[in-house]
Amino acid sequence: MAEMRMIESGRMGRVAYARIAPNEDLVSSIEKLCLAEGFGNAFVRGALGSLVDACLERADGSCQVIRGPAAEIVSLAGEVRSQPDGSLRAALTGVVADTQGHLYGGPFVAGANAVCVTFEVTLEEWLPSPGNN
Amino acid sequence: MVEKLMGLPRSRTVVHPGPFRPVRIDRMRDEKGRHFRLSLPGGRTLHESFVQALADEGVASASMTLLGGELAELGFCLALPDPTGRVLATYGAPHTVHGACFIFGNATLGSSASGTPVVHCHGAFRTADGAVRGGHILTERTVVGRRSVTAVVTALDSFDLRVVYDDETRMPLMRPQARRIHG
Repeated sequence: MAEMRMIESGRMGRVAYARIAPNEDLVSSIEKLCLAEGFGNAFVRGALGSLVDACLERADGSCQVIRGPAAEIVSLAGEVRSQPDGSLRAALTGVVADTQGHLYGGPFVAGANAVCVTFEVTLEEWLPSPGNN
Repeated sequence: MVEKLMGLPRSRTVVHPGPFRPVRIDRMRDEKGRHFRLSLPGGRTLHESFVQALADEGVASASMTLLGGELAELGFCLALPDPTGRVLATYGAPHTVHGACFIFGNATLGSSASGTPVVHCHGAFRTADGAVRGGHILTERTVVGRRSVTAVVTALDSFDLRVVYDDETRMPLMRPQARRIHG
């Protein structure tokens, strides 16, 4: 079994808040927000809002679609990381409520989670210490 | 490289009743967030406790993560299609639940156009019969129970979060704005 190890140390930097408008994709909007603010890596601090339909990835790679309109995000956690080519990639997981209040959880599929009314997010910049592997 | 197509669904576009606003991401930045950890006591509403505790620290705008606790009374509502068609989705009638376990949630503290504190909160909870549900939490109608609710707060000091009427959706929505000079 692989040993547990610390992969990175660092500190939090700047903070950005955004309101994302209808029909924009949740995952790519968070990546675009980091690009606009100059954040190379970031952590999602708080997020809430609604999606037209929620699309969560299942273990077999297929999707679970929660029909709205206005599937509500009740919690979201995730981070944005710089890729070797300099592009940014957000990985977000969360819990959504359907129009009856039933809950579903999993990773949000990029390109398939359009904002319905509004989405509010706070990102905190993550600054890795020099010399991390 | 050949990428495997997983047959992902194509996301639907919705049409809101008002004019399309060209700015799609309203954003503001703070050089440093201040952090707080709050314990919200029993017998008071979530709204009252958030607003009071953060006002004492001079915080008017913040993002919060709410951790588990007990709710003596929980007010919540669900988003439903608007039968009148005036807006795309609207909140249904408020529901009240007595004795719920709060699982987690997120909240934003901002202010109305007139400066009154506003808390926008979504969360997940378990009711006394064991059902797990979630939705839009009405913080003014939600009273903490015997086990306090913990909130981890990131305060936003250099700009305001203000609820403004949004023409596109015809809804009052939280948006970041340049800081209003007080006094």
